[in-house]
Amino acid sequence: MRYLLGLVLAMSLTAAPSRIFPYGYDQHDLPNGMRLVTIPTDFPNIVSVYIVVSVGSRHEVEPGKSGFAHFFEHCMFRGTAKNPPQMWEAVMKAAGAATNAYTSDDLTVYHATFAKEALQLILELEADRFQNLEYSESAFRTEALAVNGEYNKNSSEPVNQLHEKLRETAFEKHTYRHTTMGFVADIKAMPNQYAYSKEFFARFYRPENVTLVVVGDVDQKVVRELTAKYWGPWKKGAVKPAIPVEPVQTAERKAHVDWPTATLPWMMIGYKTPGFTENMRDAAALDLIASLALGKTSPLYKKLVIDEQKNDVLAGGYENHADPYLFMVYARVKKDADVPAVQEAIVSTLNGFKDTLVDAKKLEAVKSNLRYSFALGLDNSEAIAANLASIIALTRTPETMNQVYDIYASLTPEDLREVAQKYFVAAGRTVVTLAQKKGAK
Amino acid sequence: MRVLALLVSVVALQAMEVVALPGQSPIINFRFVFRCGSLNDPAGKEGVAALTAAMLARGGSAQASYSEILEKMYPMAATVGDQTDQEMLTITGMTHLDNLESYYATLREMMLQPGWRPEDLKRLRDDQLTFLRVSLRQNNDEELGKEVLYNLLQGTAHSVGRVSSLEKLTVADLKAFYKQHLTQANLTIALAGKYPEGFVERVKKDFGQLPVGRASAVKRVVPKPIGQTRVTIVKKPTLAVAYSFGFPIAVTRSHPDYAALLVANTWFGPHRSSAGNLYQRMREIRGLNYGDYSYIEYFPRGMDQFEPDPNLARRQQIFQMWIRPVEPKTAHFALRLALHELDRLLDKGLTESDFEDTRSFLSRNVNLLLKTKANELGYRIDSQFYGTGEYTEAVKKAIAGLTVEDVNRAVKKHLRKDRLEIVAVAEDAEGLQKQLLGDGPSPMTYNSPKLADILEEDKVVSTRKLELKAAQVRIVPVEKFFQ
Repeated sequence: MRYLLGLVLAMSLTAAPSRIFPYGYDQHDLPNGMRLVTIPTDFPNIVSVYIVVSVGSRHEVEPGKSGFAHFFEHCMFRGTAKNPPQMWEAVMKAAGAATNAYTSDDLTVYHATFAKEALQLILELEADRFQNLEYSESAFRTEALAVNGEYNKNSSEPVNQLHEKLRETAFEKHTYRHTTMGFVADIKAMPNQYAYSKEFFARFYRPENVTLVVVGDVDQKVVRELTAKYWGPWKKGAVKPAIPVEPVQTAERKAHVDWPTATLPWMMIGYKTPGFTENMRDAAALDLIASLALGKTSPLYKKLVIDEQKNDVLAGGYENHADPYLFMVYARVKKDADVPAVQEAIVSTLNGFKDTLVDAKKLEAVKSNLRYSFALGLDNSEAIAANLASIIALTRTPETMNQVYDIYASLTPEDLREVAQKYFVAAGRTVVTLAQKKGAK
Repeated sequence: MRVLALLVSVVALQAMEVVALPGQSPIINFRFVFRCGSLNDPAGKEGVAALTAAMLARGGSAQASYSEILEKMYPMAATVGDQTDQEMLTITGMTHLDNLESYYATLREMMLQPGWRPEDLKRLRDDQLTFLRVSLRQNNDEELGKEVLYNLLQGTAHSVGRVSSLEKLTVADLKAFYKQHLTQANLTIALAGKYPEGFVERVKKDFGQLPVGRASAVKRVVPKPIGQTRVTIVKKPTLAVAYSFGFPIAVTRSHPDYAALLVANTWFGPHRSSAGNLYQRMREIRGLNYGDYSYIEYFPRGMDQFEPDPNLARRQQIFQMWIRPVEPKTAHFALRLALHELDRLLDKGLTESDFEDTRSFLSRNVNLLLKTKANELGYRIDSQFYGTGEYTEAVKKAIAGLTVEDVNRAVKKHLRKDRLEIVAVAEDAEGLQKQLLGDGPSPMTYNSPKLADILEEDKVVSTRKLELKAAQVRIVPVEKFFQ
């Protein structure tokens, strides 16, 4: 088994392989709707467990509750009757585990990487908190302060503020209007939301929303047995949130942030694009366009960053989201005076994709780059789990990776032109800028 | 397969050293570590080591412009990176086996025949200047506090340089640095993956084109003596108050007390871990901020990563406590509480069970540091630097022989409660200065009930005297640093 896996891994990627994801895996649904994905690898001794919850700040539909999915991620570390936080810490410590969690628009992920002997103990411990979370109001209120501390430590970075501004400008109704951190007023009010936190847990932390991903030095049969034992009794009952549909944008939008300290000017340009699962083909085409338009070998990067040196940051692309989101471009400009020219260069570059077919050789280079980037990212068990998590949150299967790379392989210059014509339109565009406030030190 | 992966050869060829980790992975990792760094920057030319490394990894070669190099690398998704610290200059590379020949040919040109183009110098110098002027001074109060602390304790520039020196650096300065320090005598080449037979020999032969040179006489950092505790409040617009404080220690991985201090620190303030004592007391129980940690080795960029990068080896380290931003109204209390916890570490030490739990954790957790081949190569080179055996084995062996008394003795010997260098980053610097000098009570109030023992402890903490005199608490505008 190990030997075979090794052979697969060593395969060549010079031509598009039939399956980009080189590992075999076991995908198994429990009767309660939870899904298990086990991926045995040949990296010895270590196991990574990623618990992918398909719930994120997108689920924060009620006014005043922005930031709650992320806050709730913190609450999940506040223990159960059987395993108070100190006990959870002690077990993880005894396993030598590295643990943490993160939240985004469409997902919350809890992860642990540890020596393989601890697998049973950790699956049991994690199953307990997902089914029996119990914390006091006092612990809850204290945790809300830590989240405020997290906001504070992020607040000196202008990109975070610019990102907040982009979202609240580009979206009117959909919950993508706020960042995962949430509106600051809602963060300040979090200590008073204890009852709502229980509600949030009951609505969304259910097996139908969870995919357990186990990667590393494991036997898939054993993982199935342990999962059935500890996670099988979990009761289904997930509530579907009524996420508002974003009205169609009909005109370009603009906004500006005055920044109180020294900074280089920033801009973010967003174009409305479809959700990932709703149109995987367009999503894949937008990935290719992003590389061709903004990548380090693109004419725009060469012009702005390497030759004219007007910018020191130019990046962006399509981000996989459950619902329609944005194709984004980020740029940091060295001089205030160059901001309009840089904006014009970005917009006209994207417009160029609408009437000029991309060079077939360049398109092949991008496809090759994506294949090798993926392969080079799979250098340990934790990285494999981490790379899959965001896709699994949306589709609950690693097979999507193979599908996406198959689509990349099939796309032609004509396809890219068609997709550019659909989405790079002024009426779908939002431009936000940030610069040092006049007179600020 | 596993047997192969364990075949590690450390071969000294003339002056150059080689670390080879052959294996079955098609991912080929390169690591070129030169035993030189920002401590070799001549006075007035601070930043030259970092800029030289950047020119090799992010500039053109004699044969190809940087754009042309990017074009070549792009279809392979291959990368070249650089990291410069006080005593090590590192160039890293990664490619897939499919593309090894073409990648290596380019990498070799970049490193052995750099292009030294003025336009590359301008772009990369701008990056370093922006890092100091904007990223460090303005956008990240936590990293700012840490780097100011090193600056004050060691009197050294940031490894990226100073604003004033970077502005003056020329291509000739970079060439001179390259010629003098990027020599065979300073170089360790490390390789991992399923590279072909004879590949290591070829790389060795190619890099034999570098001058043989002599091992760079790296100046040692001589910590500035501290007669009494000093507080520096870095003034800048910001919402919260961030702290970093500490003092130099005699312990590095070469020191017999390293393992004991590592155990103590892993109990007290392990990086980004909720298991640490400091984190528990300050964040988990009291909700003062997002986290609180301590360090016995340099760990830059800690806000973005969970594990330290290898090849930041230094012969002079500091003990450091990192208090993430707190609300200004609790800033006085938070500092007192952090100092109180340091007192408790020194006075009470670890209990037998703290010690056993932490040792057990470390003996397993240390393996996770080597989860990538790139890290494994880096750690091998660090072990050479410190003259220790392979890191994870050395740590496991050393901690197996420890007792709780050894750990607590090492704490008392190397750590201290007084003569601290304290850095705060705050907007209302004058207000904080007044509070610290006033030394009056700083009572804590909470938004929820707390256990009686916490409230009792708060009474002690909130009146803990800092006994600072006016000359010990100064305010410095942020623009004064890294200039």
